[in-house]
Amino acid sequence: MAYKYRLEILAGIAIIAFCALFLYTSTTMSGAEFAGSDNVGSGLIAELSGKPVDSFTPLIPQYEPPSGEIESCLFALQAAFGGILIGGVFGFWLGPARRKPVE
Amino acid sequence: MHIMEGFLPWQWCVVWWIIALPCLMIGVWQLKKVLKADREVLPLLGVVGGFVFILSSLKLPSVTGSCSHPTGTGLSAISFGPWITAVICAIVLLFQSLFLAHGGLSVLGANIVSMGIVGPLVGYAVYRLLRDTSLNIYITVFLVTALADMFTSVTTSLELALAYPAETGGFTSSFILFMGIFAVTQVPLAIVEGVVLALVFKYIIALKPDILIRLGVFSEKQIETARSEC
Repeated sequence: MAYKYRLEILAGIAIIAFCALFLYTSTTMSGAEFAGSDNVGSGLIAELSGKPVDSFTPLIPQYEPPSGEIESCLFALQAAFGGILIGGVFGFWLGPARRKPVE
Repeated sequence: MHIMEGFLPWQWCVVWWIIALPCLMIGVWQLKKVLKADREVLPLLGVVGGFVFILSSLKLPSVTGSCSHPTGTGLSAISFGPWITAVICAIVLLFQSLFLAHGGLSVLGANIVSMGIVGPLVGYAVYRLLRDTSLNIYITVFLVTALADMFTSVTTSLELALAYPAETGGFTSSFILFMGIFAVTQVPLAIVEGVVLALVFKYIIALKPDILIRLGVFSEKQIETARSEC
């Protein structure tokens, strides 16, 4: 039984360990803001080039989500689209496999 | 792993676009060919593309005190090769640059090179190296997905270090600085992504082994062994 599900168990352990590690660092590490690495990277670019972060303006004008809520909404949409695709296809594959033969 | 719009000088934007465009063209051509030969691979394409969509929208906190997202490109690189993966990534990155202000149209080329081309290429190379060995399929999938993820952030660091060499130490020292931000954050994420995608691969093998065999991803014997093992 355990042998059959060892990959599931391994994945579970990896995820739990990852969460535990996050909880540990977020409580013990001072100055951990959990900002996006993209933003941290942009900060370093500003430092290296000696120009303030604000001076980097988009080369091609782009739409910016007006607030964090809308941004997270769009991110959720992106994830939902992926989820629908995956769920749909697995259902599409699973359906015929589970269909009982007509007597 | 995104480079933000405006943060790359236009000369470099052009360079990365010139590298990205031919790869995308090969990808579109291959995609047409694969779909023409066998329409039944379309659902598999949906699944591997869906994972790129989901995983690249998940920003996860990492041990370093900053957040990054996995890429999910490994599965696609194994199933369809790096060029088709580049096309999938281009779609995801275009969505993010148009609606989320993550990346941008001028830096899209650079972001496609890191997430859609170099990462999957490294993953694909690892897959080709390990495919014909007796190594367990799931370990191969783990290594491919984790390394594709890792090399995406290594490439981002490389792109930025080339554009912004440090005053003292030049390219090397700024590469190390960017690696410290992007690559170190990515290590735990890459490991978790590798394990989870190996699990997903188990389900694909369980449900549709015939597609993988037809695409020549793994041999029939390897798939049989994998099915009986786990």
